[in-house]
Amino acid sequence: MMGQTFSRPLIGGALIMALSLGTGCSSHWIDLAEQKGAPTPLQTTVPSDLRVPLLIETIHTTQNGVALATPIAIEHQILGAFEATKLFSQHFQSGYAQPATNQPHVTIRLTMNNSVEPHAGNAAWSGFIIGASMFILAPIVTLDYDYGTQMALEVERWDGQTKQYQASSSGTAHYHLFAASQHLIDELKGQVTDTCLTQLLDQVIRDTPFYIAGEIAPSETTIRSVSVGTKRSNTPVHPVSTSLEPATR
Amino acid sequence: MPLLARVLATSALWTLMTATGVQAAEVSPNITVGTQEVGLTAGYLLPHRLTTDHTTKQQGPAIMPSWMMTITDPVGNSWYRGQVSVGAEMVYIQFQEPFLTHGVGFTPKIKYSFVALNRIRPYAEFAGGPFWTDLAGKIPEESSRFNFVLTAGFGVSYFLTDQTAFNVGYRFHHISNAGTHYPNLGLNASLPFGGFSFFF
Repeated sequence: MMGQTFSRPLIGGALIMALSLGTGCSSHWIDLAEQKGAPTPLQTTVPSDLRVPLLIETIHTTQNGVALATPIAIEHQILGAFEATKLFSQHFQSGYAQPATNQPHVTIRLTMNNSVEPHAGNAAWSGFIIGASMFILAPIVTLDYDYGTQMALEVERWDGQTKQYQASSSGTAHYHLFAASQHLIDELKGQVTDTCLTQLLDQVIRDTPFYIAGEIAPSETTIRSVSVGTKRSNTPVHPVSTSLEPATR
Repeated sequence: MPLLARVLATSALWTLMTATGVQAAEVSPNITVGTQEVGLTAGYLLPHRLTTDHTTKQQGPAIMPSWMMTITDPVGNSWYRGQVSVGAEMVYIQFQEPFLTHGVGFTPKIKYSFVALNRIRPYAEFAGGPFWTDLAGKIPEESSRFNFVLTAGFGVSYFLTDQTAFNVGYRFHHISNAGTHYPNLGLNASLPFGGFSFFF
């Protein structure tokens, strides 16, 4: 009888621990900071023959104040975000094919100031606590990694007129020890960059008349036209909670 | 012992042979949050009798397989730029003196690696955990077989490839039972070691 009384809590405890170790240890979630007063997404229509090409002239990137070469993946993400707006007829990147010199086009210069805060002190202390507990606390103690980006976009029209836009976004990845992976950090950076780009391009879309040839106001009745708007991310961003599969680590 | 020596020599030769092809290329290990490390280290325990009550000259080879997880990206902008990893290590010691006995332990560990020199990475480490040995009871310093082992030391990793490093270093080893049985004078030793790590 006594054996049964003790064995149930023991078995239950063992099961809970096994479940915690199996699932809790390898979980992670990402919190993106809420944007106060973020404008609602805008969708408008532009006659396709009034669209002009876009030239991405420079993308300057800094991380914690140190200049970095912009990763190719980020360049592609930025180019893809501009393409998805359908605001421009063609998309060129400096160093590759260029629009014809006599062709009206829009030139953009983008500056990205990224900030990374891995909370190294807290991570070291948490790691010590987890180790000292013989990893029993691994499903409970979380580690944090902050990432933020500020983007400043300068857009120059074919006639020399310029406009400036700014946006910022930040987020935190929370993870347990056994869920630590570069994929998690890449996921955080991707979501933060995506959110920031969306905010930036929402502002550009609101200035659609500025970017169309002849400054003809967009019309809903034009036959040859395209819908203009930022591509909304398919991935949920507030907050995401997933379990890392072993294969993804 | 001959088997242990053969295993270590084979793994050393294998690592050097596989590393030869990339010696000319620039080795630049990219260790970030989530990079894991598995390692195999071996050394020889040399006794320290710190007081006149310590009489045992315990010594013998030690082998230490380990696993670690990097939990920070490199932090700092000076010579101390480095990153933290935590993990665990098994330790097996074959005491050849004063009696042929054995010891096995499991020690969570924490390590700080200095990354400023790129492929040459000094590190400091600390580990501690339970340790069982049948040497206890046969010597005046220790009375119980269940003990704890604490180690602290430093070393240097030399990256042969982006993922493989050769390690050498020194640890101070302390074994005692935390006062659970008396006598509990403790055993102290130096442990110079060498080994290999694989990062993924």
